[in-house]
Parts: sequence; C-alpha cells; structure tokens
Amino acid sequence: MRVLFFAQLKDATGCDAIELALPSPPDGDGLWAALLLRFPALAAHRPNIRLARNWEYAAPDAIFAATDEIALIPPVSGG
Amino acid sequence: MEIEVQLTGFPIAEKIFPPVVARASRPFDENQKLAGGTPAPLSHGAWLEFRGVVRGEEKGQTISALEYEAYPEMADREIRRLLQEISARHPCQAVKVIHRVGVIPVGETSIYVGVASPHRGEAIALLAEFMDRLKQDVPIWKRRARSAEHRLGANQNTVGNTPSRCSALQPCSLDEAISQIVSHCPPLPSVRAPLAEAFGRVLRETVCAPEDLPPVDRSTRDGYAIRADDAAEIISIVDTLHAADWKPRQLKSGEAVRVATGAALPCEGLRVVMQEHVERDGDKLRITKHESTLNIRKRGEDVKAGSPLVTSGARLDAGRLALLASAGCAQPLVSPRLHVVHFTTGDEIIPPDQTPKPGQIRDSNSILIRGLLQEFPCELTQSHLPEDFETAKQLISTINHQLSTINLLLVSGGASVGEKDFTRPLLEMLGFEIVFSQVNVRPGRPLIFGVNGNRIAFGLPGNPLSHFVCFRFAVATALACLAGGEPPKFLRGQLAGKLDDKPCPRETLWPARWEWNDSTPRLRLLPWASSGDITCLTAANALVRVPAHCAGLEDGAKVDFLPTTPIIGGGL
Repeated sequence: MRVLFFAQLKDATGCDAIELALPSPPDGDGLWAALLLRFPALAAHRPNIRLARNWEYAAPDAIFAATDEIALIPPVSGG
Repeated sequence: MEIEVQLTGFPIAEKIFPPVVARASRPFDENQKLAGGTPAPLSHGAWLEFRGVVRGEEKGQTISALEYEAYPEMADREIRRLLQEISARHPCQAVKVIHRVGVIPVGETSIYVGVASPHRGEAIALLAEFMDRLKQDVPIWKRRARSAEHRLGANQNTVGNTPSRCSALQPCSLDEAISQIVSHCPPLPSVRAPLAEAFGRVLRETVCAPEDLPPVDRSTRDGYAIRADDAAEIISIVDTLHAADWKPRQLKSGEAVRVATGAALPCEGLRVVMQEHVERDGDKLRITKHESTLNIRKRGEDVKAGSPLVTSGARLDAGRLALLASAGCAQPLVSPRLHVVHFTTGDEIIPPDQTPKPGQIRDSNSILIRGLLQEFPCELTQSHLPEDFETAKQLISTINHQLSTINLLLVSGGASVGEKDFTRPLLEMLGFEIVFSQVNVRPGRPLIFGVNGNRIAFGLPGNPLSHFVCFRFAVATALACLAGGEPPKFLRGQLAGKLDDKPCPRETLWPARWEWNDSTPRLRLLPWASSGDITCLTAANALVRVPAHCAGLEDGAKVDFLPTTPIIGGGL
C-alpha cells in the first residue's frame, strides 16, 4: 500500500510517500505499529493525525488493503 | 446544487462570474425538472462572494508570503462532501470554490468562494458554515513560505502502471527498448536531503522565492535619502544608516537620512542623492545637482515573492544549489540516492594490475561502470561472480538480503547465448521478469532488461564498447527516469566526413566526436573494429544513430546523435 505524508509529516519522515508491504491487511492500530517502527518520529504527531483511505477520512474500524492509498492528515489550515 | 471546485497554482482572477449565468437556459432545480414542470426562470437573487487574502502578519511576525500545500484528490472530494452536507440545511443553487496552492504573496487571494441562492440568508449561512468546516476538515495546509510545493509530481501518477512487455524472445528496436525502459522506471519516492548531499539529484518540487528580493528598497550610492517628491531648499539630516542597519521611519519633506551603499532605506517612495551632489553644512544639506535616477534597488527588483526560482524536475547543479541556499531552502525535496549493485562475470577477467595470460583480459568494465555512474548520485557495490552457476548462486545467497533493497542491478558479461552465459537465469532466479533480452542495435544487441517490483536489472553484453553504448542509451535512461528527471535525448547534428560501410540489418550507435561549427554540432565518426575495441573512447563524446541497411552517408548528412558528455550552449 502507498502511504502519503503531508506538511510537517514530510519533515518528520523525510519523504512524501512510501510503499508499505504488510503480511495481512491491517486495521488502524496495525498500520500505526508498522509506521512507527519505520518512523519513530511520527509518535509525537500521532494524537493529532487522522488517517485517510482512498481520499476519505477512514472510519475508526477501517481495514486497510494493499491497493489502498493511505494518507496521514495532520491538523489542516486551509482558507 | 451545482458545485465547482478548483485547486490552482495560479493567481485567482480579480473577477469571477457566477456559474449559473452561463447556463441560464437550464432549470436550476433538478426536482422541478424531474416532475416535468416548466423550467423555472433563473432566480438567484443573491450572488455572495468571499475572498480569503494572505495577511502580512502570521503569529505576530511580519511575512511576505504564505505557502499552501494540498492533498488535491482528497481536498476536492472533501469540499464537495461538505458543501452537499451543508446545503441540505441551507439550500443554495450553485457554489464555486477556488483554492490557490503554492507560494501566495501577501495581499493576494488564497481562497475564493462564490454562492448563488434565491435569497441572501441561505448563501450567508452556507458560506459561514463552509468556511468553518473547511478549516477543520479539508486537507490543505499553510505555513510561512519556505519553498513552493507543486505537489502531485509525476511519480504519484505513474506508480502502479504495468505496461505491456515486448516479446522477451524477439529482439526489439532501439526505440521500443527505450520506451519500455521509460515505462518501467517510474520516479522513486522523494526524500528531503541537505544541500551538501543534493548535488546531481533531481528537484521534486518547484522552489519559489519566499520573499521579495531584495526584501526592502536599498541604496545603490553613498549619499542622502530624501522623499522622491521633496522640493525643499534646505534639508535636515535626521539619521545615519550603515549597510547592516534597519531603522524604518517615514521621512517628511525637508528630512534626509545619511545612507551607505547597500543600506536598507527607512521607507519606500524615496530617492538617494549622491554625496557628490550636495553641499553639507553641519546637519543641513543643499542639493547642488538634480539627477533623474533614484539610485535605489527596489524591493522585489530581482525576484518577486512567489515567483519560481528552480523548477521541479531540474537536476541540481552548483548554481541551482546556490539559489536554493539563498532562498533558505536547506532541505530540498529531491530524488533519493540510488543503491546500485554491479556484478562482473567471466573466468577470463583479471584485475587491471595483473598481466593477462593468453585467453585472459583485464577488467575494464568495473571502472567503466563506476565512472559512468559518477553523474548519478548512487551507492555502488561491485563484486565478481564465478562463472560456475552453482557457485555463483551460493555467493549471491549470502548477499540476497542486500539485493532486496537495491534499485538497480547491473550484470556485465554472460549476455550472449554461449553455454557459460548465465545472466538471464541469474536474473530470473532473483525474481526478475525479463522485459526484453535482445535489441536490434550494434554494438549491444544481447542487452537484457528485467523488472522485479520497483527494482530493475540490466544484463550488459561483456564487450566494453557494448557496455559504453548500452549504458548511454539504456542504463542512463533508467537512472534519469527513476530520479524523475529528463531521460537522455537524441539531438540533431550534421556529419563531418562521409560514412562508407557495409549495410547492417541493425541500427548502429556509432561512436563519434562532435564539435560546434557555428551553431550546428558537427560529428566525426570514429573508427571501431569490433564491440571489444574501445580505442575510440579516448575521443568519443557522442553516439551517432546510423539507420539499419544504410550503405553510407554523405558528408554533411543530417543525423541524430546522443551526446555522452553534457552539451553547453544553445542552438540545439
């Protein structure tokens, strides 16, 4: 699955996107576990991050498939 | 309700037309149309417009621009979703939302919302609620301008393509081979890198000027700054400014400030009278000569805030890196450093410092590949594989974990159909799917290209000249595409001297030397006896494309060529 980072998360991870290969489709906690393993710096941002799946905010019980486009959405500030 | 959403990198127009006006013949109310009623006359009584403008202050600090970033696909959907939801409570006829992204200078519009409704009440309520919700939910971010971000680089659109393969058994043409390589090498994800490590990498976001340069009006002379419209006879000196001083103040008529060359002027709308053109008596001045020039470098004269400095896709050379440094972009978003593994094969290969026995040759390919890779930022690991397949397999199994993280694998030799050749089985054993294994080109016909996920591999024919040619048209193309830059291009030139050769059923990439002649590159073909003959490489700086079945070319004939060193200058 492809995971996208925006705004300050690009600085925290040092990249704008990664390909993540997981043995089975994770739920939100499983996805976070894999992300934190790779980018410990994300831990500080986690309380403020919402997960998006295929261009919509993900439901709390969402399961993420290998073909999904996932995005970590930090607090927004448009307008 | 009609909804139009735009995310744009360009300034938002001063005047936006209500969207329903252009469709005046259409009923706005879908229900009415479905009910078969007569189309209602267009009846929006309110066209409410809102513009959000970048303020000159952010968290108490003066700024000259803000930088907006969006997740465009999701922002578009989220805006539409919010509008649908809110319009259920406040029914309106049409909404148009334009959000600008990238660097937006102070005073310019960042968001425009236009709402059409029968009466103003619904439009005002919808607008107010929409703006509140936008600031909570729509994935758009702003920060003080550091660099502009033209998101959605080519990489995010092309990943996931699985283009069709050529028949791996049939030789493909040179053009087919190049287009297969391009389509199988999408740009790798971007990384942020310090400037000192970014040389040679491809910039992945357009970097714009974060502020006007110069940021304030500066004096170009040693002299006295006065109001540009000052007609006073006698002028009083009220302050003195050195080059590093910053003392803003509004000058009144009859006041002057002593300034040094380069000093930041205290306000705008001034001119600087050269010190040679005044008579000074203590704190008083009289101007003795009136010039028409202002003697000022105006704010934004070099660059206006928000204008692009280095564009996405540019290879970062020394000059561009210096420009990024001057704009405060210390960690540009760039292509990653590639990890390349190169295996040489063949029992006849000996190191360059040894004397070959009959049947042996010195290894020139290792240093050739290392040298050719210099212009592509990468980590290179080189090793030699024994010719026995079983032994080679064992050796590879010890570094297999390393091979899983590489971007590019190069295998020299073993690409023809001789008994001992094993590049193809080796690549297949490592999980590479062979895209093509022969190209109708000489030298370099037995070139193998394989793909395994986001890793790619080339089996290069063992002869050194073939190596040089295959690297230039195939490997260099792959490296440029992985980096997200421009792949090497064939250019047009003119032959110097004629070509007399036996017709060959394959295209030839002929080693040549090009030189400028007026504004045309003139190419002298270099003699080469076989694909093992690299004596021509002492002079070669180009490969000339000679068509298949070509019996000869006249002096002055137009030819396509691939430069193998950077071309400086224009006219091509």
